[in-house]
Amino acid sequence: MNLVANNLSYKPEDQYHLNEVSFSFKEGNLYTILGRTLSGKTTLLKTIAGLLTPDSGEIKFDGKNFLKVPVWQRNVAMVYQQFINYPHLNVFENIAFPLKQRKIDQSAINEKVMDALKSVGLIGYEKRRIQELSGGQQQRVSLARSLVKNAKILLLDEPLVNLDYKLREQLREEFKSLFSKGLADETILIYSTTDPRETMELNGEVIVLDEGKVLQVGPAKEIFENPNSLKVAEISNDPPMNIIEAQILDNHIKFEGIDVEAPKHLSKLMEDGLKIGLRSSDIELNENGHEFEVELAEISGSETLLHLKRGNTKIIVSIEEVLNFKIHDKIKINFKIDKAYAFHADGKLASSPFGVLNG
Amino acid sequence: MNFNHKYFFLFPGLFVLIGILIFPIIFVVRLSLSGWNSYNPGLDYIGLENYIRLFTDDPRFWESFFRLSFLSVTTVILQYVIGFALAHMVWKDIKFKRFFRVLFLVPMMTTPVIMTVIWRTFFHESLGPVNDLLSNFGVAPKWLTDPVIAKFTVIIVEVWQWTPFMFLLLLAGLLSLPKEPFLAAAIDGASPIRKFIYVTFPLMAPISIGAIIIRLIEASKIMDTVYVLTSGGPGTSTETSSFYIFIKGLREFQMGYAASMSFTYLIIMIISLTIIAKVLTKILLKE
Repeated sequence: MNLVANNLSYKPEDQYHLNEVSFSFKEGNLYTILGRTLSGKTTLLKTIAGLLTPDSGEIKFDGKNFLKVPVWQRNVAMVYQQFINYPHLNVFENIAFPLKQRKIDQSAINEKVMDALKSVGLIGYEKRRIQELSGGQQQRVSLARSLVKNAKILLLDEPLVNLDYKLREQLREEFKSLFSKGLADETILIYSTTDPRETMELNGEVIVLDEGKVLQVGPAKEIFENPNSLKVAEISNDPPMNIIEAQILDNHIKFEGIDVEAPKHLSKLMEDGLKIGLRSSDIELNENGHEFEVELAEISGSETLLHLKRGNTKIIVSIEEVLNFKIHDKIKINFKIDKAYAFHADGKLASSPFGVLNG
Repeated sequence: MNFNHKYFFLFPGLFVLIGILIFPIIFVVRLSLSGWNSYNPGLDYIGLENYIRLFTDDPRFWESFFRLSFLSVTTVILQYVIGFALAHMVWKDIKFKRFFRVLFLVPMMTTPVIMTVIWRTFFHESLGPVNDLLSNFGVAPKWLTDPVIAKFTVIIVEVWQWTPFMFLLLLAGLLSLPKEPFLAAAIDGASPIRKFIYVTFPLMAPISIGAIIIRLIEASKIMDTVYVLTSGGPGTSTETSSFYIFIKGLREFQMGYAASMSFTYLIIMIISLTIIAKVLTKILLKE
């Protein structure tokens, strides 16, 4: 069964929430919608669910016009970034709710609810009130509620964003195993997120969305290796990819008085206004490197993010250990220049270390 | 620091409370134990004589009490159903929403006594516009002089006057409901009707209980409508407890006896409203 959309547009006021969005989703696949906040992810999911009607465009499911089907007959399930449950019902009743809307007998409901509880690890919590649960548990309840009905389309709208770090890691693992367990065989899974790491870990087909427009579609690996534009490179990397204005002359990349030999895939680019992109993890501390000044050093988890400056060039470096730096410290770094990307002046990818997109 | 002076600050409030609440209740209890009437004004002590008379020799009081129960329960149920329907209607996105919201509140803003006078004119059997219209269909109900119909006339006026209050409380409740469960319910496959039954209504249970109790307390004091519309008539067929107590106390000046009725009425109301609140909570909140 296919879910196909053509030229969906939604513009409630003066800004596009969806701008000519088209896609073709097949059952048994996981699709990740990657985009910053306000890029239209939630709007897109709501449109698929039927909570929003687009201004123009069409959605077809299994060949039928999906926009004509009212929400409650669409057989979709959705998990929201806020933990949405029914506050007046207990855990069991919450999960049973979608089943009660179809005339299923009680013993079948019990069985399915217990199965769902098991798969999200909430056995023993059936009688609890929703308000007595922690955020993570509430989100599990809404996940169980969306699993129990075996919907043809399962929408997950940034389901992990409001959870603390530990829980997020844990639930993400659980998602991965849930998704791989064959749940996805007949389901179209659509997962939206702002987090590039989540996108890569889920490893599905990625749709990069920005200001309501689809920027790039492809497998996670492809998006990571060959982002087709500066914007995609920014969105699909956290911290965003460093963009350096440089010149390539005689096989050398030159900027801010730094001169490094250009790798093969960049050496033939000669044009003006070229931008070099380098991931923050592709820069390392090195005694014999180039001097930069520390503008800010933040420790996040087990890594240190250094915001560095030299002349007009600002870059972010992430180092896989906890280090203490003071502001205005001078440090020396080296670029793994063979991992560098090049973008044309208009933002389009010119060359990537993984591809053969030269030209 | 010495915090004893905090009691000092409690005194003003306490004085008012004693003056307007506690003293009158104690005085009514003492009054009910006296034979105060227009011939013998004064707090002579006659023991429980008034209460014995009330419980053994005054069916009119109990009739008026059961009549009151019928009237107040019926009006409050009708007010709840109509009020909820109207509130639900203007809660949704409909055209002229603001206009309707104000329109539905108009009856509450009018003066009850004057409106009842107008209703009495409306329902006048030979001169009123209602029967003038109905006579085209060959009917002319005796709105105010038939013992059964008169009760429903009282109900109509009460419902008209006080549904807006219910409407206001329930609309406030609806507007304060979280939006998320409704989104979830739609996606979970609940049609609009099922959404109302399984989400809106249960979520509204706490405020419904509050609104019903407030209106029951108010409705059981019903006095002005009866006074103006029928004066308890025809006969005693629309006489309610408060109206009967008013007749005994302030028309016949049997102050002692009226006090014993008031106090008995107060006790019954406290007990029955507590039970009603408990039962409603049990049914609606499943607690």
